[in-house]
Amino acid sequence: MSGRAVALPYGVGRISLGWLALVAIAAALVGVGAFAYAIQELEGPIATGLRDWGTMGGATWGLYVSFIVYFVGVSFAGITVAALIRILGLTYLRPISRVAELLTIVSLILGALSVLADLGQPLRGIANLFRYARPQSPFFGTFTMVIAGYLFASLVYFYLAGRRDAYLMAQYPSPLRWLYRAWAAGYQDTPEEKARHERISFWLALGILPLLVIAHSTLGLVFGLMGGRPGWFSALQAPGFVVLAGVSGIGHIIVLAALLRWSLGLRDQPEMAAFRWLGQALLVLGIIYIYFTIVEMVTAGYAGREHEQRLAKLVLVGYYAPFFWTGMGALGLAIGLLASQALSGRWSIPLLVASGILANVTAVAKRLIIVVPSLTHGSLLPYGIGMYIPTWVEGAIIAGLMGLGALTILLFMKAFPIMEVPAPVEEVRP
Amino acid sequence: MAMPRYAMTIDLSRCMGCRACMVACKVENNTPEAHFWMYVFRFEEEEYPKTRVWFLPRPCQHCDNAPCVKVCPVGARYKRDDGLVLTDFQRCIGCRYCEVACPYGVNYFHWKHPDKAQYLDYTDDPEVKSRTNNTMPPYRNPDADLRYGPEERLTAGAHHYRGVIGKCTFCVHRVEKGLEPACVANCPVRVFEFGDLDDPNSIVSQKLRTNPHFRLLEEEGTKPRVYYLMGNPPSPEVRQVMPVKGGKRG
Repeated sequence: MSGRAVALPYGVGRISLGWLALVAIAAALVGVGAFAYAIQELEGPIATGLRDWGTMGGATWGLYVSFIVYFVGVSFAGITVAALIRILGLTYLRPISRVAELLTIVSLILGALSVLADLGQPLRGIANLFRYARPQSPFFGTFTMVIAGYLFASLVYFYLAGRRDAYLMAQYPSPLRWLYRAWAAGYQDTPEEKARHERISFWLALGILPLLVIAHSTLGLVFGLMGGRPGWFSALQAPGFVVLAGVSGIGHIIVLAALLRWSLGLRDQPEMAAFRWLGQALLVLGIIYIYFTIVEMVTAGYAGREHEQRLAKLVLVGYYAPFFWTGMGALGLAIGLLASQALSGRWSIPLLVASGILANVTAVAKRLIIVVPSLTHGSLLPYGIGMYIPTWVEGAIIAGLMGLGALTILLFMKAFPIMEVPAPVEEVRP
Repeated sequence: MAMPRYAMTIDLSRCMGCRACMVACKVENNTPEAHFWMYVFRFEEEEYPKTRVWFLPRPCQHCDNAPCVKVCPVGARYKRDDGLVLTDFQRCIGCRYCEVACPYGVNYFHWKHPDKAQYLDYTDDPEVKSRTNNTMPPYRNPDADLRYGPEERLTAGAHHYRGVIGKCTFCVHRVEKGLEPACVANCPVRVFEFGDLDDPNSIVSQKLRTNPHFRLLEEEGTKPRVYYLMGNPPSPEVRQVMPVKGGKRG
């Protein structure tokens, strides 16, 4: 493909060995995940480590639900960053805006697929969740608002934000010209069109921001409204989910932005100011999250009912303490790294990437700590304690979903400029 | 005729923990291995020489403010006008939110197809065949294949689908015929009574008038329709003894 066409910006259409290797790894993960899902479909959910709580002594929800929350959480930062660029005029974030929006869309789709992996009757789920939707159920927020409303709004935003680049790309002779033409759909980047686009994007961003808070809150309410589940029933659950979503999402964007800068060989894009802003945002959200966790633990440990106290103890110093402290330790370390950079005023991309990865370790560990202990050890009736060890099938399906996300982003990178194309196009020709 | 308001009373002073109700429930509803729509806790309290052993049957509480009904995203779990909380097996998507929301732990998910999770292999078990003149006895209760109530939804029995939730139905298929639930009918010492709360002469109304009673986890605001007579709720200090086994089957 590269031989025929003029070199396109940001490596579009150029296949490198490294890229091929990454695609192969991601595709292999997808293959393993698909194989595991086939096994789960043939044998039934018995192939997972999940079982009923109560007399059966298991956990009803586990890895899948934790990762529904995790994937939807990651989606937070993408559209937030994109919206803040429009609303607050943070122009130095512009180069990462597209990859951020793409991350939102990809992770929301992964969230939806994890829902399907968790359902006992996935095909019925697709039909009945719309056919018989009940707004009284907190799941309505997860399924309908997040996966339908929020995903749809993000897709529209993504489409609109990409039209200008599609128009510019369509100027090149390339095998994907049809795609750019279709995407641009008559858009020609005239001043009027530009102004109209800016206006629409601004209002759409303004509309998506509250939708985003509502969507992440309803995901928190799935747990926070359960009066009969110690460890879940808490008014802090919804704001906590919003903040932890921000932590994991911004962490992801930092890693992706650094990968782009490195893999595309760009020396000054995204510029350091963008990384600094992301680092500061992660620092603030991380501190808020630590604060939330302390308040929650103090409330449960000091004034909680018997079962709340027992569960708080189990998480802090008992069976689940290793997971809890891994998560909180990772966040503490990330905050330490970020704070030292903020105080010294010298920001380093490797340290930022480390904090981004650590933040995501926290996000996964904390989600497992929210979902599982209450089911295995939180019964209000004197059932014995339960146990949950995920099987390889669950692990493989989650790994497959991650592979699918990576694969989507990798393929997209080669079909469309992953960063905004500087105008006019002619100047970027290498 | 006015719609009845069904309820159950469980006399704790009578229960001797024989678990015949659990067996009756299994036979009636074809519940798979490790599924106990009716479960009898065996509790031990205090230390020797004051040790006390007592029993607490736990069917679905058929709550008036049922957490499971509230959270179901598709309305598969619903409450009938007569008070029965049922599951529409053909609408359930298997998200298990009801199971997570219920503080009583009465829900059981079909982790594999119920036909493959029975105690015997009803499709082809040479040992059974050797005792039954080479025929396999049927295990499915045909009444559970019918649809009940004005809604005509598939709500009875446990042998229908994989990947859906199931729980005690108060034996809807028996109640519709004017019979008592299987656990009530089979208890050797008449621990259970089942009847209409709106009928002052029904045995449940009479028992509730004349006996001290409590409801399980009443403080959760679930408003259960199962009333326990002559006893106290389990304190956090009770120890469960002889729990059922079969944790890793589905």
